[in-house]
Amino acid sequence: MSKYSLGWALASCVLLGLNISASAAGKPATPAATRVPGLDQVKSTTLANGMKVIVWTDRDIPNVALYNWVHVGSRNEVPGITGLAHFFEHMMFNGTSKRTPGEFDRLMEAQGGSNNASTSDNVTIYMDWIPRTALDLVFDLESDRLSNLSFDPKVIESERGVVYSERRLRTEDSNEGFLAEQVQATAYVAHPYQFPTVGWPADIQGWTIEDLQTFFKTNYAPNNCTLVLVGDVSSEEAFALAKKYLEPIPRQAPPPKVRTTEPEQLGEKRVAVARNAQTPLLYVAYKSPAANDPQGPAINLLMSILAGGDSSRLHRLLVEEKKIAIDVSASFQEGFDPSLSWVQLTLPEGANPAEVEQALDAALDLVVAQGVTDAELTRAKNQYASSFWKQLATINGKAELLGSFEVYEGDYKKLFDSPAVYEKVTREDVLKAAGLVFQKNHRTVGLLQSPPQAPAAAGAPAPESKP
Amino acid sequence: MKRLMTTRFATALLAFALGGALAGNGAAAAEADATPGVKVPANTRFVLPNGLTVILVPKKDVPLIAFSGFIRGGALADPVDKPGVASLVAGLLDRGAGKRSAYEFADAVEGVGGTFTAGATAEAITVYGQFLARDRALLVELLSDALMRPHFEADEFSSYRDREIEFIKSAKDSDPSQLVGIYGRAALFGAHPYGRPQGGSERSLGTITQGDVVGFHAANFGADRTTLVFAGDLDAKWMKQTLTTAFSGWAKSKAAPAQLKPAPRVSGRRVLLIDSPGAVQTYFWLGNVGVDRRYSGRPALDLVNTLYGGRFTSILNTELRIKSGLSYGASSSFVRGSVPGEFSIRSFTQTGTTGQALDLTLQTLETLKHDALAAEMLESSRAYVLGQYPLRLETASNWAAALADLEFYGLGKDYIEGYGPALTKVDLAETAAVTADAFPRAADLVVVLIGDAAKIRETAARYGAVTEMKLSQPDFAPAPVP
Repeated sequence: MSKYSLGWALASCVLLGLNISASAAGKPATPAATRVPGLDQVKSTTLANGMKVIVWTDRDIPNVALYNWVHVGSRNEVPGITGLAHFFEHMMFNGTSKRTPGEFDRLMEAQGGSNNASTSDNVTIYMDWIPRTALDLVFDLESDRLSNLSFDPKVIESERGVVYSERRLRTEDSNEGFLAEQVQATAYVAHPYQFPTVGWPADIQGWTIEDLQTFFKTNYAPNNCTLVLVGDVSSEEAFALAKKYLEPIPRQAPPPKVRTTEPEQLGEKRVAVARNAQTPLLYVAYKSPAANDPQGPAINLLMSILAGGDSSRLHRLLVEEKKIAIDVSASFQEGFDPSLSWVQLTLPEGANPAEVEQALDAALDLVVAQGVTDAELTRAKNQYASSFWKQLATINGKAELLGSFEVYEGDYKKLFDSPAVYEKVTREDVLKAAGLVFQKNHRTVGLLQSPPQAPAAAGAPAPESKP
Repeated sequence: MKRLMTTRFATALLAFALGGALAGNGAAAAEADATPGVKVPANTRFVLPNGLTVILVPKKDVPLIAFSGFIRGGALADPVDKPGVASLVAGLLDRGAGKRSAYEFADAVEGVGGTFTAGATAEAITVYGQFLARDRALLVELLSDALMRPHFEADEFSSYRDREIEFIKSAKDSDPSQLVGIYGRAALFGAHPYGRPQGGSERSLGTITQGDVVGFHAANFGADRTTLVFAGDLDAKWMKQTLTTAFSGWAKSKAAPAQLKPAPRVSGRRVLLIDSPGAVQTYFWLGNVGVDRRYSGRPALDLVNTLYGGRFTSILNTELRIKSGLSYGASSSFVRGSVPGEFSIRSFTQTGTTGQALDLTLQTLETLKHDALAAEMLESSRAYVLGQYPLRLETASNWAAALADLEFYGLGKDYIEGYGPALTKVDLAETAAVTADAFPRAADLVVVLIGDAAKIRETAARYGAVTEMKLSQPDFAPAPVP
């Protein structure tokens, strides 16, 4: 994506970085120690209703980050209600039987707190950032909306407009968002990962109040939530508040498991999008394992070696040397179920996409055949270490990391082990990961460029319509 | 690492957009502020004989050293017909410097997991990044090479410049909302340095030569214009010694940077309509000249803007999103530089509701200007600003940016430590005074719309005399700024 770009995934990229302690001050620049401090400051408990609560005390600033990870996302949807997990996330701020729409935000802000929420294919996360003085209020508010959520038909209509506006911003008026949606939808024949998290337009317009009520009953059980608190709060205090406000919410039957698994793909798929574009886009998505796969760290390091920074392989080759792309990124999209690894290229005006694809293929064939160098692997490990420490410097980053490891990998303690896990990744592991991911029969290639009739020259008037 | 996320609202739209001319470092986007309890961490400041200012802030929670620095005189020193020179200079600092080629420099930075970013704002070239603490010697070496000994080699120059041109096209394809402010500033400030596109335009970048870049560096870089702040897991004694050795040979700059003159506020309303055929939304920006960094009513202004367009329940977001569902988000901000920057309102709505959304926006501004603020609202805003600021002064990189900001504007640490106490004292008389003084009247605005002109041309004309251009034009203004 261009540096100007919000990007189609701008909202929140949770970075599960490599964790390497740099206690080796003064030693050569190679990863050495792998211990992350802080495990003894983290406490957890499971409430009687099944909600797990994890607390990391950090008194650097007088604030607390409270994250409620609800284990539901667009993968829990079916045709007709695509986008509902995300729409539901919006509705969680819009009133309960005790509080009017908007009161949640007004009360929280009046006590110095702010909030946000995000939905992905896999999870929905509710985030509050508050001064510690607002803890009692925030537990009350979180408990209220989990227990007493109500739906006002007028508010549903208004919020429908908000979500559609979000879709127009990120998808319909964005070539990057539009192509990503098309590639993701094309890559799967069966699994609900094919649904865009924001939802298809007709579904955004079609949700009913009954859909919302069913979704709430099915998915918003306390035993389907993981609560993470980081900051100026002791575990005793947080557990007491959780017991007071959240434990009374009755346990429910857990939501049904996602039954559908994606059958193996046996040949390359291609999707072409004709939209006015000064800079064409070439996105390639490869079927990849789930987040908790033992090869995950090697795949993450591979992506970093390929496109993490100006010294990365694909950047050097395609952007600096051949000058046939202006930007390249590569990422492993981690989820509960087997997901995709993406290589995304932005091409200069007038580029020949076939030539670019050929060069990309040759580069990926080479990494599959010969693997990576020691220097590349060390660089990738160091980049992850640096990102990891940067994340650990904020209460926000700690809450993201704790929640990610707990929810995706089954245990928050793995956060503290992961430096050792990443440190152990070898060139052979990366070679194996490359062979696993970069299989042409398992990929979907998306190309977005102007329709043939469109004038190619910059500054020329563009045709009057977009598909 | 990517998990596709769709959020409740774009934080970028609603975050405090208080950054001044120096903003550009993500960490510095919020200016240095604090609650009554926040203290500036102990730090050491010294000036070398050649005029280089260094500030060291030990903060040892994670094994990183963050840096944030500036060289006075940014885009304001661009040749009038060539906006973007300062930005290219900044971008090329690490593409070959000292004994390293561009590749070797990138290998050195990224090989140890470091980051190095440079950019141009209207008033400064900024550099920032972070390294693992164990790589402190390399950090100093690379930073001194980039600032004092950049190569600006011909192939690197042309390749980088050409790519910057393509990035602007790419942004037009995928993110018109991010460009509306560039058009807005150009329309509001005209030829004033705050009006120039700091990253250049497709056209202007195409006219810039390697010689322009080399000349800019020779004329505008020098120790006496530069301040470097390091914060994190550092040993102040070692840093002072190493920095002194590395930077003592740097000459002073040839001249002082040009002084900015304040731009006048605009009276009346005019409209710039940027045609994006087929766009399904209209992205709009309304602005006028606001206040500068030393504005005496700052605490009151922050409280009023929080209520008007600076948080989720703000008046703007309530009208355009919460109550009407017209938009995913609406916000307002003041940019406060050495001289007054812009006050602006931003939002977007589907093409068919452009007029409705603009009318509502103007109404909110009328209401703000005419109706007294409720005491309860003032209290809510005060609690919010006091409650949120510590989150912006949490990390070493936050503090490096904050102290660089103080140094740039010549503000003392009371700007941070006195802010909380000042917020607690703001009363309704002060909020009324800043509302009258700093916020424009709804009748006095530059209105910028990016959208499908065929469908909104008539609507646009309701808000003032319309000038029209195409999104695909290679400049951010209808005609090149003279």
